[in-house]
Amino acid sequence: MDMLKIENLKKRFGDKEVLKELSLTVPEKSIFGFIGKNGAGKTTTMKTILGLMKPDEGEIFVNGEKVVFGQTSTNQYIGYLPDVPEYYSFMSPTEYLHFCGEITGLSKAERTKRADELLELVGLKGETHRIKGFSRGMKQRLGIAQALLNKPKLLICDEPTSALDPVGRKEILDILMAVKNETTVLFSTHILSDVEKICTDIAFLNEGTVAIQGKIGDIKSTYRTDEYIIETETEKELRVLTSAFTHLNQTGRTMLKFKENQHSLFEVMNFITDKKLPVLKIERVEPTLESMFMEVVKK
Amino acid sequence: MKSLLSFTKKEFMEHFRSAKIIILTGVFILFAIINPMIAKFTPVIIEMLSESMQGGMEITAGEVTAMDSWLQFIKNAPMALIVFMLLESSIFTKEYQKGTLVLTLTKGLKRHTVLISKTFVMLTLWTAEYFMCYGLTYLFNNILWDNTVAENLTFMALNWWILGVMAICLSVLFSVIAKNNILVLAGTGGVILGSYLIGSLPKIGDYMPTLLMNSNPVIYGLEEVSHYIPAIIIAVSISVISVIVSVPIFNKKHI
Repeated sequence: MDMLKIENLKKRFGDKEVLKELSLTVPEKSIFGFIGKNGAGKTTTMKTILGLMKPDEGEIFVNGEKVVFGQTSTNQYIGYLPDVPEYYSFMSPTEYLHFCGEITGLSKAERTKRADELLELVGLKGETHRIKGFSRGMKQRLGIAQALLNKPKLLICDEPTSALDPVGRKEILDILMAVKNETTVLFSTHILSDVEKICTDIAFLNEGTVAIQGKIGDIKSTYRTDEYIIETETEKELRVLTSAFTHLNQTGRTMLKFKENQHSLFEVMNFITDKKLPVLKIERVEPTLESMFMEVVKK
Repeated sequence: MKSLLSFTKKEFMEHFRSAKIIILTGVFILFAIINPMIAKFTPVIIEMLSESMQGGMEITAGEVTAMDSWLQFIKNAPMALIVFMLLESSIFTKEYQKGTLVLTLTKGLKRHTVLISKTFVMLTLWTAEYFMCYGLTYLFNNILWDNTVAENLTFMALNWWILGVMAICLSVLFSVIAKNNILVLAGTGGVILGSYLIGSLPKIGDYMPTLLMNSNPVIYGLEEVSHYIPAIIIAVSISVISVIVSVPIFNKKHI
């Protein structure tokens, strides 16, 4: 089942069209990476899902229920972590989680249990200071705790790692990995290594529309181009190879690149064995998210 | 209901921890002390002035009674309301500006709960602080003089309280429309000023809520209580309508 379905979403601010017929499907129990440049429309999309912003056109369904702008009942399924989460800073983290638990109708026993579990999960257990003095990383971690409080079916995180240092980022990614069995995660980012580490599904947002989306493995295989790299030991072997095969491209001092349709891999390998050429490696090029992203953005 | 209670609890916690309640209580106690004090010392000051004047112009101040202190109360009430509104006008807008409502609303808290809770908190504070000020003034007046010289004191006190309630409800309406508290203050102040200006016209004046500001004739017993009833009905109606209209506007507000 699809946890989130967005159909032909359009949004315009003045004369700038931020979302142009954006459609997106997030399957249940996936970790969905929503990738796009700054200003691509990621935050706008997320705010619209939460009913905080009114789309000009299009529909959104969360857990099969339609989202309406303003007061929307679909928010009961969602845990949300904004890019810069703001709390009632006069409270301590425990007080804040209890407050959140009360407004969502958890019983006192449940509240205490969940608050303890989650503060433990995000490493804020025993933190009695008021939120006022928290660092960005601490606020972000508290943000995940509050978002998970009432066991949402869909956890939406808006660039949760963008402003953090490497340690803080790893902590957040570990937490997201840890909750993937309990909930569907949709998170926006422009840090591709984060996506590569934890996502099962991705969508590339470019200029207001979704350029590619699907399972990360499927997308990679469609972008796989049967390209190979050969690294020789010295330049001498490289010259032997280039004189025998005209379509080998030199990409480094001892590096060559070619495509299957230019020369057959086995043909090249046969030649290498016949001539007993020492090579360091022969490798099939795997598409990286970065190369795919660059390709999408360039289009 | 439970979420209303917890949001209200959060509001009071905020008022205590940000010292707003202490400031408000201090200000309202100060007003309660100032009212009889000004009444008590005005003749002394006038006497001192007349003595210091060469040529011996004789000024005799009349005997001071509780009436003078109550007139001060009516005179100082606008100041008290202004201080209250200045402190409370950002109760909504601060949350918009900081973005703190985003998390609470996306947790499924109903928007009207926020609205009712904040209105309730402001009305409770106004009622408690205002009647504390009234009670203390009453007490001091009784110790220094005799309150029986003034008539319809409770009615006079209610008049100003109702005007405060109307100002608060109007500020709720402007808070769901505007983004910052300057606009909230300008809107609320504008409506009251408008009512005051229209009130200076002969016939319509009796229907304007700002009539409730001028309770002097009532405590002198020169005006019937019934004279104020239309203005009270209108003030209460404006209050109720402001809050009711705020609900759908707030439901569709960009937060």
